[in-house]
Parts: sequence; C-alpha cells; structure tokens
Amino acid sequence: MGLKKLAEKLADYKERLDLGQTQEIKPNHVEKVLKKLRSKVTELEADISEEDDPDKKERLIRKLSVAIEQVARAEWLLNEIHTEPEPAPSS
Amino acid sequence: MTRFYLPVAIGVLFFTFWYNSDIQEIAAGVAIFLFGMLMLEDGFKLLGGGALERMLEKATGSTIRSLMFGILSTTVLQSSSLVSVITISFLSAGLISLIGGVGIIFGANIGTTTGAWLVAGLGLKVEIAAYAMPMIAVAILLVFQKSKRLRGIGYALGGLGFLFLGIHHMKVGFDAFKDEIDLLRYALPGLLGLIVYCLIGMVATVIMQSSHATMVLILTALAAAQISYENALALAIGANIGTTITAIIGSLSANFQGKRLALAHLIFNVATAAVALVFITPLREVVDLISASVGIADTDYALKLAVFHTVFNVLGVALMLPMLHRLIRFLETRIAEPVPDVSQPRYLTEAVDAFPQTLESALRKEVMHLYDNAMELIFHSLNLHQHEVYASDSIETVVRQSRAPYDLDIEENYERRIKSLYSAIIEFSTRVGERSIDADVADRIYALRDVAGDIVQAVKSAKHLRKNILRYTLRTQGSVTELYDSLRVEIARIAVEIRKLEQEDPEERTALWLDHERSQVEEDARNAARRVEALIRKNQLTPNAATSFLNDSDYAYGAMRKLIEAARTYYIERDPAIAEVEKLLSLDEDELIDPHPANAPSPEGHKSVVENE
Repeated sequence: MGLKKLAEKLADYKERLDLGQTQEIKPNHVEKVLKKLRSKVTELEADISEEDDPDKKERLIRKLSVAIEQVARAEWLLNEIHTEPEPAPSS
Repeated sequence: MTRFYLPVAIGVLFFTFWYNSDIQEIAAGVAIFLFGMLMLEDGFKLLGGGALERMLEKATGSTIRSLMFGILSTTVLQSSSLVSVITISFLSAGLISLIGGVGIIFGANIGTTTGAWLVAGLGLKVEIAAYAMPMIAVAILLVFQKSKRLRGIGYALGGLGFLFLGIHHMKVGFDAFKDEIDLLRYALPGLLGLIVYCLIGMVATVIMQSSHATMVLILTALAAAQISYENALALAIGANIGTTITAIIGSLSANFQGKRLALAHLIFNVATAAVALVFITPLREVVDLISASVGIADTDYALKLAVFHTVFNVLGVALMLPMLHRLIRFLETRIAEPVPDVSQPRYLTEAVDAFPQTLESALRKEVMHLYDNAMELIFHSLNLHQHEVYASDSIETVVRQSRAPYDLDIEENYERRIKSLYSAIIEFSTRVGERSIDADVADRIYALRDVAGDIVQAVKSAKHLRKNILRYTLRTQGSVTELYDSLRVEIARIAVEIRKLEQEDPEERTALWLDHERSQVEEDARNAARRVEALIRKNQLTPNAATSFLNDSDYAYGAMRKLIEAARTYYIERDPAIAEVEKLLSLDEDELIDPHPANAPSPEGHKSVVENE
C-alpha cells in the first residue's frame, strides 16, 4: 500500500497547517470521506457479482482494488488524526 | 441623450443657485445625504464580509421568507436600490429563483418605508446635526484603520452621520427658502395636482436614483410647510415609481432573468402607485384613522406621510402577492429565455461582477457550459452521439454501430464553441483575481480557470484524432478499426463516468472515485501498446497504421487524462478541510500503475473491507 507516500503527504500537509496555509483536518472530515469510499466498495462488489461479461468484470475488479486501497488509506489517516496529540492550551 | 445629461444637470444647478442661493443649501443637503448612503453601503459591505450574500442564497426557500428578507435587509441597509441590485446580480448568476427574487423586491418596498419613519419620527424632531458632527469625526478615524471590521464600522458610522447632516441642511435650506419664496403658492389641488406632483416625485427620484432621498426632501419640505400634504402624498407615490430606475439600470447588464426581475419591480411599483392614486381619498381616511389610533397629531403631516407611505406599500404587497404566480408566468412569456448561443458566455455577465458568491457561482456554471460544448465536439469528432452513448448499456455496441461520418468542421466549431468561451473565462478569472477577494475564493476561481484549460486541452487532443477516425472507422478494416474503436470506447467511457459523478447527490459523491478511472486509463494505455506490438508481430497491422495509431493513442489518452483531471478539480469538496483529505487520499501518478500489487482482488476477498466496519 502507498502508506509511505501518504505519510509524506501528511507531513507536508502538517507543515502547511503550521504555517496557517490550510485548515485543520478533524476526524469527522476523514469519516465523511471514508463513508463515501466504503459505499463505493459495496456498490462495486454488487456490480461484480451481477456482471457476466468477463472484460467488464475485470475492469470492475480493477476499480475495486483502487477503492479498497483508498479505504485502507482513509482508515490509516483516520487513525493518525485520532492519535494526534491535542495542541497544548495557550496560557 | 446621456451626452447632454451631465452639462444640462450642471447648467440647471448653476441657474437655480444663481436664482436663489438658499437652493444651494437644499442641493448640498441632498448631495450629503446621498454621499451618506454610499458610505453606509460600503460600510455594510465591509462589515458583512459576504454575510448578506450568503443569507440571500438561503433566504428564498419560500415566498414569505423572501419577503421577510427583503423587509429586513432594506430596513438595515436603508436602501431598497442596493437590495434590488444585489438581487438582480444573484438572479443573473443563477443563485436564486425568479419567484424568490420577486419576493425580495416586494419585501424591499415595505422595508424602504422605515426610512420615512426614521426621518419623520427622529430626523425632523431632534437636532440630529448635533449627533452628526461627532459621528463623522469618529468615523474618519476608524476609516483609516487597517482592520476591515473597524473600517466597516467607520464607513457605516460616517454614512449615518452624513445622512443626518444631509437632512439638517435640507431642513435649514427649506426654512430659509420659505422666507423668500412660498412654494405653497404653486400647490395644485385635485386630480391635476396629483398627476403633476406624482410626475415631479418620479423625475426627482430618477435623477437622484434614491426614493429615500426624495422622501427626505418631501418630508423636510412638508415640515417647512413648503408643500401641501396632498401634494406630498402625490410626490411619495411618484417616488415609488421613480425608484425602479436603479433596478432597470442594473438589469441592462444582466441576463434575461435580471431583466424579468426589473420588469417585476416596475410592474409592482406602477400598479401600487395606480391603486394609491385611484383610492387616494379612502387611503387618506385610513391614514387619518391609523394616525389617530396611534396618537399622531392631526397636524403632524410628516408622520402621517410616513403612515401613508407604509400603508400604500403594504397594500401593494397584499394586492400583488395572490397574483405572484401569474406575474411570474407573465414575465416568463414577456421576456422569453433567449435561444442559447453556445458560443457566447451565458453566466459571465457584468451583473455578477460585484459579489464573491456570484463570481464563483457564475464561473462554475460557465465552465460547465464549456464542458458541455467540449463533450459534444469530442463525441462528434469520434462520429458518436452523446445521447446514444448515455442511453446504452453497452458502449462497445454503440461504437461498433457508429460508422457514419458526422458532418463537422472541427476547426470552425473549436473557434466558435470552445475558444470564445475559454477566452471569456480567462478574461473573467484574471480580472476577478486582480481584485481584493478572499484567498479561498481566489483559489477556487483559479482552480476553475485551470479546469477550463484542461477541457480545452482535451478538445485539442480529440481534434488530432479526427483524421484517422474518418480514415479507419467508417468501414471495418480489421485490427486497425478495432484499435481505433477501442479508443472511441475508452473516451466515451470516461465521459459516462464523469456524467455519473455529476448526477450523484453532492453529499454522497467524492472526486476520489475518479481515481478508479485514472488507474484504468493507465492500464488501457499500456494494453494498447502491447496489443499494437502483438499485431505488428503477427503482420496484422502495417507499420504505417501502427505509427498512426500510437500517435493517436497518445492524443486520446492525453484527452482522457485531461478530462478526468478537470472533473477531479471541478468536483473536489468545497469544504477546505475535506478537500485536504481528498488530496491526501488521492493516488499519485506513479501509484496508478499498480495500486494494489500484492494481491489482485477478487470480489469475495474484498467483502471483509466493508463488513469488518
């Protein structure tokens, strides 16, 4: 899985966040995207089970592999965001 | 006409100043009052930070909500003209419906009556100039501050100060004026008086472009006993007709919807005025009754005029509301939607130029207009018809059956339907980008410009395919036809997937789904190259045909990549934090080749991903 790449992108995002160039990602933001990705996985699985044409089935399976990869990445990201230490309160 | 307007206006002013120097005081009062209104508008624009526009977007869910929004916003801004211009702008950008816009205009007519109450109840009874001076002095300090909020407060406070000062100068002017000339001598009784003074009120409002300023002028003249109560009523009715001029001017640069709204404004105000003129006697009696019941003295004509102004505007709304749907049908018939000229921008009109929300929304719609034109041209260049592809379960079948050439001058179509729109989008986004708008909005404007660029690149790539599509796909020529058909299928498939994304509920979709297509395009591109090599080895493809196909497949896959890229940017989440999530999760170019190499998925094997949640 491309988690190493994702970790690099996350580090880059955090740098931009520290510079105030972007908005903070909260767990609910990731969860919202994750929900959409999972719904696509379910939809593709249903399509694959109904498809008889081998070419079309192969294409759907390829799509599914990308969808699963995205779900795995989103889960990893959600975990990273959850385990992120809370910023120290300013006095 | 406009060439002579300014010199004539200046000439008339100089003549009247020479004729009577006290008129200078009145004219200066009107000028200061109008200047105050401009400052007040600027102040609210700075303070609001787009809040008014955001509210406007949400305020048209029902007629009553639109009406209430028109009343409230005009009461706060003290300018029905500003509210009507913003409404026209939003309607032109497609952000609100015509019926919602008309509701706001109706409400604005009631909201504007609060101005008469303010002047009659406060302005003429209290020495407001005493408050105006410190307000203006403090305001100017705030105006020079860096903080947008403080500047906004400064402009609003200064605006209010100048409004008060303007009223004061008008009062002083009329007081001095009455010692020399008694305008009451020119008062006209009966129907003639009604018509003449109604026309004067209308002309005065057209010249000043503010019924508010006219009402203040009427009230101060009335308080100084320079006009009769009857004539003041007629002037107020005329001012209501004249105030439509701002909306009419605003609609000149708007699209057909903006023009419909301006016509609705004119119909409403003229109809209300006609009713008020016809029923002037019973209306006066109603005003007397209301005034007496709320304790307004019988001789307090200024407050009675404010009551009259409110009664006849509320009456107008009460009369017109039941006819609202009929009015909308009339407007739609009278100003028909023009047959769309695909080569002309539909949404990037001057009317949308003033507000960030309308800018972005109009540009978004125009980019979609460009995409629609582009897809039609791409499909036709492949001898395909969009509706057949979209309606079919099998793109392959449609492609195999599409052997007839589409009569198409691709260069002429590109110039007329793509380049003209793209130029308008570039000009618009560059012009908008130079203005001081929020960084988020500016980023989205530039992203939309890039989307347009990707769409144009896709069309350019498709143009290159045209020659060999005509050469190899009009009749079956074996492997080379199959190769070109596969390119046609793949481009059509991308269009279908983008269309599916467009048709999904925005709350349920994510641009990340397009990664599936990105990955598939790379896989198809590799397979096509392998297939060509195999065909050459088997002598089923001539080297010439193979070279043509490899060149063309570069263009075809280039077009597909650009279309997907355009859709990814167009459909990215508007919420900046969620957009960041999407960017993080999206596969990079090098990851598209084999996104999941370790274990090729099988449907059964992947069920756990969802079921385990």
